[in-house]
Amino acid sequence: MRAALIGALTAALIGAAAAQESKEPIKLGAIEVLTGPNNRYGIPAQRAFDLAVGEINKSGGVLGGRPIAIAYEDSAGNKDQAMNAARKLIGRDKVPLLLGPTLSNEMFAVGPVVNDRKIPIIGTSTTASGITAIGPWVFRTAMPESDVIPVTLKTAKNKLGLKKVVVMYANDDAFTKSAYDVMKDSLAKLGIETLATETFSGKDTDFTAQLTKAKNLNPDAIVVSGHVDAASGIILQGRQLGIGKNVRFIGGNGFNSPKLAEIAGEAADGTLVGSPWFLTKKDEVNQKFVKAYKEKYGDDPDQFAAQAYDTMYLVAKAINAAGGTEPDKLREALQKAKNDGVMGPFSFTEGRDPADASGVVVLEMQGGKFRIFGETS
Amino acid sequence: MLDSLSDLYWTYQNIIHGIAVNGILGLSVYLVLSIGQLALGQAAFMGIGAYFGAIATTKLGLPFPVALLTSVLAPAAVALAIGAPTLRLTGVYLAISMLGLGEISRLLFLNWEYAGGALGLSGIPERGGVYLLYGVLIVLIIALFFVGRSRIGRAMEAMREDETAAGVMGVNVPRYKLATLVASAMLAGLAGCLSAHLSSFIGPNEYGFEMATTILSFALLGGIGTPLGPVAGAAILTLLPEVLRFLADYRLMINGAIIVVAVLFMPRGLLSWRMKRTV
Amino acid sequence: MLQQQLVNGFVLGATYALFALGFTMMFGVLGVINLTYGVYFALGAFAALWASKSIGLSVWLALPVGAIFTGCIAIVIDTLLLTRLRRAKAPELSSLMVTIGATLFLYTGLSVVYGTEIRRFPLDFAPSAAFEIFGVRVVATQALIVVAALLMAAALIWIVRGTKVGLAVRGVAENPDAAALMGVNGGLVTHLVSFMSGAIGGAAGVLIGLNFNAIQPFMGENMMLRGFAVIIIGGLGDLRGALIAGFLLGIIEVLTAGYFASAAKDLIAFALLVITLWVRPVGLFGRAAAKRA
Repeated sequence: MRAALIGALTAALIGAAAAQESKEPIKLGAIEVLTGPNNRYGIPAQRAFDLAVGEINKSGGVLGGRPIAIAYEDSAGNKDQAMNAARKLIGRDKVPLLLGPTLSNEMFAVGPVVNDRKIPIIGTSTTASGITAIGPWVFRTAMPESDVIPVTLKTAKNKLGLKKVVVMYANDDAFTKSAYDVMKDSLAKLGIETLATETFSGKDTDFTAQLTKAKNLNPDAIVVSGHVDAASGIILQGRQLGIGKNVRFIGGNGFNSPKLAEIAGEAADGTLVGSPWFLTKKDEVNQKFVKAYKEKYGDDPDQFAAQAYDTMYLVAKAINAAGGTEPDKLREALQKAKNDGVMGPFSFTEGRDPADASGVVVLEMQGGKFRIFGETS
Repeated sequence: MLDSLSDLYWTYQNIIHGIAVNGILGLSVYLVLSIGQLALGQAAFMGIGAYFGAIATTKLGLPFPVALLTSVLAPAAVALAIGAPTLRLTGVYLAISMLGLGEISRLLFLNWEYAGGALGLSGIPERGGVYLLYGVLIVLIIALFFVGRSRIGRAMEAMREDETAAGVMGVNVPRYKLATLVASAMLAGLAGCLSAHLSSFIGPNEYGFEMATTILSFALLGGIGTPLGPVAGAAILTLLPEVLRFLADYRLMINGAIIVVAVLFMPRGLLSWRMKRTV
Repeated sequence: MLQQQLVNGFVLGATYALFALGFTMMFGVLGVINLTYGVYFALGAFAALWASKSIGLSVWLALPVGAIFTGCIAIVIDTLLLTRLRRAKAPELSSLMVTIGATLFLYTGLSVVYGTEIRRFPLDFAPSAAFEIFGVRVVATQALIVVAALLMAAALIWIVRGTKVGLAVRGVAENPDAAALMGVNGGLVTHLVSFMSGAIGGAAGVLIGLNFNAIQPFMGENMMLRGFAVIIIGGLGDLRGALIAGFLLGIIEVLTAGYFASAAKDLIAFALLVITLWVRPVGLFGRAAAKRA
């Protein structure tokens, strides 16, 4: 009798221990800019990760019942801090996979180290060129500008008959400079003449010199690569200088923000920007995401949130396909992973960049809000 | 066990490197402050050293010792060029011209496509390593210690206390000023090159005003009585954001506060030792 | 196009002049290089922003609010940080260092509290008419900035040169001890100068925030380095120099960008600074400050 009791107790304990182990969370690491001037890119990502993780865990987690947990480290936009964060998460916390970092500059520093250590790392917001070239363990789910800008310019040319433009770009930021390189390339391929190329600093507030020069050249449109602070200043001053509404502003990803209308007001009407994602995309998956995000956080999600959200689901699928978190298997599973997310269908190219650009839309600003270019309602 | 030790080291490797690099930067500031001049150009010199050193290895394929040499000579040349005319003037003008120099060099690197422009230089090969770093640091501390105890050190202290009096007493003030500036530029450039080859990526915006004030705060916190002061200050300020995670957002605020408190209340810094001189 | 560019340069120059005026006054009179001046911009702008959003004031009232608020803060900062140094007759470098630290602290503090996103004044804050004269387009706010810069400079110069208060200020600048012996209340004068300089900075912040629709905690920082160039070129401590050099730099920058290359626009200010330091360190109007030791 006692033996049976002890036996049962032992079995129960072992069972509990086993059950405990099988319910142990899978801890992933994430490095994002959570404080400082660039946290407007990092915080939406964090929120979206959390939202996705909550949903995944509620519907059973991964690997038959194990929840996902994310350990966040703040890089505050500082390259050194991002490095230290990566080393801590991998060396000390032994995470099998890293999400982030937020900025391309940070990824250039962190990527090689993580790649050497053979841990997969996924950039959800790093759009500069050369990211995935760092190594076979570096993935990118952020749609690079080289996929979006050609679509924007081509659409603009087709619908507006663009023949000659003036280009302006912020020359002190890797992201805006990269985007400019893509613009230059696309414009050449489309046979659009570039009348002049002007530069400015991302921190500038006065663009009247460049804009006056531009106005005098009579372009069909002004193509701008800059973050939203400079972009809204440019548009506003351009209109103040008398650049007419028929000369549209066409922007890279930096324009893709509601701040544009907030600062530039009416002057921003007619501005075009390409985006890999759009708030009012009508498909069900997206609408569900938008609603859930708004309910939980009170704000509308932006594309950084959308990209992060999809990435988390992708990662969950990869973990399941790999049957665990062993780095080699995980890497292989990621390479093959597919997901139909809020951005549309997703898979990786061989170079570990997003393969599908069919979700890219060209947006036009009207009355303070973005809407699909060409749609009248 | 060995595995977890090496993991531990790998985890904190960057911080360990950082302490040494910042220590060397602290010494570079120490040199200039110890003759009573304000050192705001260290970040620019660090950037020049980092860029020239990195270009040597990545673009020109030169061996690391050559890169190190370049990273020391280039800032020295710039310091000579800038120093000669501005050193005749009072300290304020020197400080402001150093700030101007910092901006100019930042803008030049930004627009220099060969050096990567806004995208910076990535793929810098890993060279050097912790032994070299700390070796250099220790050698420098000892060297500066001996300099401080010598007649040169006495002349420098005299200049710090009262430049005119020192000049009257026979100290060749302009020459000391220039030599100090050049020496400090060399140290900063060396630190830049060493640091670049341990972080595989450098960008033009890293060596601006923020870096200049951070470097200054090393010496202000640690004090400039002995070479150990700035090194200690650097160590503390490098470790602080890591040890106190929640302070990370306030890193710059703390640097600022330290400078204020140090200048107002602790002109001698935390380590208020003074050098004992035998001469 | 040349006329428009000249106008652009003039407006930009006005912003530089506004910065330089208060800054150089602090140096000329109090012997203090006060780098926290850049923060005053943001403080003034944020104060006016608050006034416009919560009380609905328009620019005519919000501007003085911003200016006075910042003036008071300037007095506080001066008392906390700089009086101690002045009493100990510390070298100028100390005030430079301490204000560097304070600036860092305040900027970061502001951005922690307010975030770093840019804001703008509400749409009805100021008249938004635009005029077109002789092929040149000028917006009301731009005219406002230029007029304000000229007015403030004129007012300052008149106060300093033409009034008894100004006499007291100049006395303290020349020789604080002698002035005290003559019955001048040095402390009060110092407060007055701090207040005026802070007020100008705050007003400048409001105007600049209005003109460029970009209010954020670091708005003064960009100015700072250029501001150095302006006051050195104009001559440290000289009000006319600050005004003229400010306008000059604005015009040169715009013409460089317009006719040469926009990438050079940033560089030109610092190039001029370095050249000035080499050739004529006292600037256009400065008094001799080089030591001959």
